[in-house]
Amino acid sequence: MDKLNNQYEISYHQAVLLLILYRIMVGFTHLPAASILPGNQDIWITILFSTFYTILLCLPLLYLSNKFNSLNLIEYIEKIMGKTIGKIIGIFYVFFFLYATILLISIFVEILDAAIFPETPTWVTASMMLITSIYIAYKGFVAVARLGEFIIPFILVMILLFIILGYKNYDFTVLLPILKDSKFKDINIGAIDIGLRYFNILILTMITPNLKDKKDLNKIFFRSLIYSMVIASIIVIVVHSTLGIEYAKHVNFPFFTVTRMVDFGETIQGFDSLYLTSWIVGNIIKISGYLYFITVALGQITNIDNRKYIIPISVVILIIVLLLKDNKPILAVKQPTQNIITIMAAIFIFILPLIILTVYLFRRKKL
Amino acid sequence: MKKIVLLSFFILSLLLTGCWNARELNELGLTLVIGLDLVDDKVLVTAEVVNPTYSQQSSTTTGQGSYVKYVQGVGNNIYEAYRDITLKFDRGLSIVHNRVFILGEDFAKKGLVSQIDELYRDVEQRETAYLLVAKGGKAYEVMGINSGLEELPSNYITKIVENFKYNPKTVDTNLVQYIKQYYKMGHHSIIGTIEKKEKKVIDQTVEKTGTQDYELSVIGSAIFNEDVLVGYLNGNDTKSVNFVMNKIRGGIITFPTPTAQVEGSSTPPPPVEGEMPNKQKDQNLSSVIVIKNNTKNDVEMVDGNIKLKTKIELRGSLGEVVGNIDVAEKENIIKLEEACSKAIEDGIKRAFKKAQKEYGIDIFGYGLVFHRKYPEEWKRIKKDWDEIFSQADFEIEVNTDIIRTGLINTPINKIKGK
Repeated sequence: MDKLNNQYEISYHQAVLLLILYRIMVGFTHLPAASILPGNQDIWITILFSTFYTILLCLPLLYLSNKFNSLNLIEYIEKIMGKTIGKIIGIFYVFFFLYATILLISIFVEILDAAIFPETPTWVTASMMLITSIYIAYKGFVAVARLGEFIIPFILVMILLFIILGYKNYDFTVLLPILKDSKFKDINIGAIDIGLRYFNILILTMITPNLKDKKDLNKIFFRSLIYSMVIASIIVIVVHSTLGIEYAKHVNFPFFTVTRMVDFGETIQGFDSLYLTSWIVGNIIKISGYLYFITVALGQITNIDNRKYIIPISVVILIIVLLLKDNKPILAVKQPTQNIITIMAAIFIFILPLIILTVYLFRRKKL
Repeated sequence: MKKIVLLSFFILSLLLTGCWNARELNELGLTLVIGLDLVDDKVLVTAEVVNPTYSQQSSTTTGQGSYVKYVQGVGNNIYEAYRDITLKFDRGLSIVHNRVFILGEDFAKKGLVSQIDELYRDVEQRETAYLLVAKGGKAYEVMGINSGLEELPSNYITKIVENFKYNPKTVDTNLVQYIKQYYKMGHHSIIGTIEKKEKKVIDQTVEKTGTQDYELSVIGSAIFNEDVLVGYLNGNDTKSVNFVMNKIRGGIITFPTPTAQVEGSSTPPPPVEGEMPNKQKDQNLSSVIVIKNNTKNDVEMVDGNIKLKTKIELRGSLGEVVGNIDVAEKENIIKLEEACSKAIEDGIKRAFKKAQKEYGIDIFGYGLVFHRKYPEEWKRIKKDWDEIFSQADFEIEVNTDIIRTGLINTPINKIKGK
């Protein structure tokens, strides 16, 4: 069985940093928010506004994790829903994590192929990433947390550095007029769309029993959410004021393009290499974490040591990534991969937890 | 076990010594400038490629060769033309270091955005490469001319474009800036131009070879309606557009010198057509060097009529004073400031009139100001903005502050106290 549950503890800072990273890596990579409704200069406000919807959508899981703070998501689902149904739902969550990881690695490979290794076969880039992640996942979540504690501040400093160095490319007038061109309905739809993509709540429910102080759960959730939303909003402002609203929608990796444009004359250039370094490390931490949670969930469902699943699951992921990636682009052509994840997120972050919460409220005296 | 792992790492480090399918320098043709033309309705790509085998030393012994070579390819689109080059040139083109795209006039008139998708899609291409239109000709006609001290013609072109900071009679639009302007409703894009000009003969005795008789000039700019080249602005009009768009970071303003009378008063400056008019006989012109400029644009809507307003605050230093005026007198400085402001005003009015009457499109970006100020009204009129712009009233206010006079005060042709 997984050692994490018995031995290791995750501190408040480690948890907050990891959740911030897991969230902002999306903006750091392909920034789907640049194309959401209202699709204009108010997107950065929509992101901030989405904090409200994110909290609302995450409330069922947050409530349950507070109630069962000594159990993780898979464990308390089993407790509330009963063994058989609990295990079935647990398997569904495993599939969701698996799908999210496959998508994550596919996008990772896509940017690597497009930006730095255009001639390197997909199997090489995907394998290298997975081998590193397998090693970290084998060491347990504490390795991910400790690596994150060490690396994430560096990544955040890098983002800040790019934002400061790119100042001469900014044209903030593109952000005007504020809230005049957007319909309230569009801002809300955009905010819900972003809120639904907050997979971090699932990560938080998985690490709850291992928090050093379980009372920190809500604090970790709210702080990491607010910090990450503010950073994501700043990333959107930077991207929009550098590339313009419309062109930002056309670019597959907006923040990468922004860093390519940073220079100081002819001598100081090539900041994209710094970006790629921090981006690769950030992704390794994220993929290792996801890989770890898939195997922990599987381990708990089947009562087998999670580490036994790491390599087989990685092989499955690699095969699917290769089939997907060598078949069609993931980012440029959003259907069906990107649309499926939104629907799945709605089910696994809100609808299913809401059902479980309802069952819990009915059965709470018996539990 | 540890030994096996260490051993395998050691063996792997010997085997994995480079990138996958690495392209070494001796296989690459580093491209610095690319020209795009239309020939028989096909795209002609002309690329300036670095010649790594050439050195100054070898040229002195053989008397032949150049730092660059020019290669050409034809295709139905840019990528096909690039690949056509591979059948004629021994190295694969690498556009990582490409810094300038020169567009032939025909190419620019056909509509840019649909034709230059490749420049944005290619991961090797830098977004900061400059875009220039070869005024009145083909791109390949201006390539290869180097009248500067830079050894590479591409560096020569890049440097004269970047001299925008010293002389705003040009624009330094790059790929991203162009596409940003293109997408903006209420602002038409302008990009730089490049033109081959014959040099005045300096020394008849020196044996003139090749391009030494010519130089390149990036003065002026090219105007686009949507993505189609519709015309050009001269240097002064381009400077005026840069003033309105608040892009002036340096440069000079030249204006008729107000003449001071013997008893301390000045004669009013002669009427001018705008900044840097054709100098009239015996007319004295002075110059102010721009230290700082701040432009604020505004739009007012009164009873359905639209008035476009621009306010310019300029701080400068006297660069040259030609004429009978004692700049040590405060009132004379004020007169110089007024003359300078008037010259800027007239220049902008002339450029504005040109945009309104000749081209009928908003190249200044007043549409963006209108959008910001009247967002609701904008939704209704944005499609007709150019027409509204063409009919709109214009108001300009320029305030110049001369805060330095250089190393001398009174002009050297005037005896102090007389």
